[in-house]
Amino acid sequence: MSGRRWHFLLQLAPLAAVALLWEALSTAGIVPENRLPPPTRVLGGLADLVSRGLPPGSHLFGHCIASLRRVLGGVAAALAAGIPLGLMMGWSGRLRSLVNPFVEILRPIPPLAWVPIAILWLGIGDSSAVFIIFLGAFFPILLNTVAGVLSIERGLVEAAVILGASKRDLFLKVLAPGALPAIITGVRIAVGVGWMTVVAAEFTGVKSGYGLGYMIMTARDIQRADQIVAGMFVIGLIGFGMDALIRAAERRLLRWR
Amino acid sequence: MKISVVLLSLSLVLLGAAAPAAAAGEKLRLGYLRSDLHHLAAWVGIEKGFFRDEGLDVETAGIFNAGAEEMSAFASKSIDVGYLGMAPSVTGVANRAASVKAEALANAEGSAIVVRADSPLHQVKDLAGKTVAIPGFASVQDFLLRRALEAAGLEAGAVKIIVVKPPEMITALEASQIDAFIAWEPHASKAVTKGVGRVLLPSSQIWKGHPCCVVAFEGSVAHDRPAVVQSFLKAHARATAFILANTDEAVRIGVQYTGMDEKTVRMALGNITYRSELERAPVREYASYLGRLGYIKETDPDAILRDYIDPAGLVKDARP
Repeated sequence: MSGRRWHFLLQLAPLAAVALLWEALSTAGIVPENRLPPPTRVLGGLADLVSRGLPPGSHLFGHCIASLRRVLGGVAAALAAGIPLGLMMGWSGRLRSLVNPFVEILRPIPPLAWVPIAILWLGIGDSSAVFIIFLGAFFPILLNTVAGVLSIERGLVEAAVILGASKRDLFLKVLAPGALPAIITGVRIAVGVGWMTVVAAEFTGVKSGYGLGYMIMTARDIQRADQIVAGMFVIGLIGFGMDALIRAAERRLLRWR
Repeated sequence: MKISVVLLSLSLVLLGAAAPAAAAGEKLRLGYLRSDLHHLAAWVGIEKGFFRDEGLDVETAGIFNAGAEEMSAFASKSIDVGYLGMAPSVTGVANRAASVKAEALANAEGSAIVVRADSPLHQVKDLAGKTVAIPGFASVQDFLLRRALEAAGLEAGAVKIIVVKPPEMITALEASQIDAFIAWEPHASKAVTKGVGRVLLPSSQIWKGHPCCVVAFEGSVAHDRPAVVQSFLKAHARATAFILANTDEAVRIGVQYTGMDEKTVRMALGNITYRSELERAPVREYASYLGRLGYIKETDPDAILRDYIDPAGLVKDARP
């Protein structure tokens, strides 16, 4: 077996061991099935989610797409607002002092605390979910962009100014690339937060009837613990996948380093 | 020598302290749903001392937002007795989420389909192509809605059914994000008193006399403490009779426990039927609906009922 494949299998081994232990504890009756269903039941629940769907007729794929759309919408809005503002705040100390108080007050408020207000303002459609995700994703992107700009060697910036770089060139060719590593870290955090938030944001109900949080809430309502855990597993898997994609993009974007 | 004297007196003091506590009454941990007027008998039993009169020391151990949450509390044995919907308790028992035994009815009816106050919808038939919100799948309201649609000659797919939690229903209706909702009291009456909604059809006209909430005991409690169960049921029957005979006092207690205004509570009470006899046939019908729609795997409703409704036969001896 090739070295890489063997390495990959080794990484899976602890997960497999935990799954086997979990199944054994359940079969032995030490962990009651109604509290934590064993992996076999969870896989059965997953099969039901794919074939019959939950609520019956709404299949897993549709739920995944709906939640992903909301997260991507919220993160895109956070990028569009956070990166330009972050670059400017990194550049201008005066702007930083002006905006910081607002950031420091709003940032600690958990996105979920906004749910009742969001529904009041925007209703139960996609826009309130996107708004809540935006709130969660915005601050990591903003703060990391600012930190990224501040970490650029002063010498580089001064040289660019002396050589006659225009404001536009400064932002696009010096500050943005210089802050890029930090910005990408911010995006990774933002996507993670956004994904965690979307599930809970969907708990109160969604107009389209699709969403992973909505699906898990339904599994909770009909008390199918196996489907709750299967849904959680799908969420974890997709979150892992998104992070892996960002890391791959990071490697390509930062090749020049 | 001195130490043994101290120890002896200490144990005597502790024994003395323990003795009166045992005589204060059988401890029972109670659960019910937040602001759910269907559970008024529990509140009356507490306020009027009916449980105390039967020698029970009832402690409110949990106030829940949903029946499914209460079932989790039963599963973790955090409560001994609970008032909750027949729907979540049957679903949970059928899906083996918890061991729970229904011993009495808490109320019948008490839900309604509500549309916007200025809406052109006047019959169930008019709901075709519209969006209707239910509090949750496999709830009694879900079943009631589908029955109403069937009776009006509509296919289940003719209406878009989505889940919205009751506190958000009135706002969603007002903002025209949904065209109608079906919910338990007092949410239906609240929509009316707020001027937002109008009752299209009360649940009593969808399924006359349908059971809604039940009084259920955790499996081991029902098995190990039958005398306590029967005492509780006596107090519950007394509280139910009290509500029927003392509307004003019942309204006062309803206002106290839900925090809603008197007008809403009074209107809601008019839509709820308080009765304590639990009949098997309607529960059986609900159980077969659950199986037909794929919410539970168990397809034998009688097997479910045998395990769920008063398996120890305690009820016939419990008449007050």
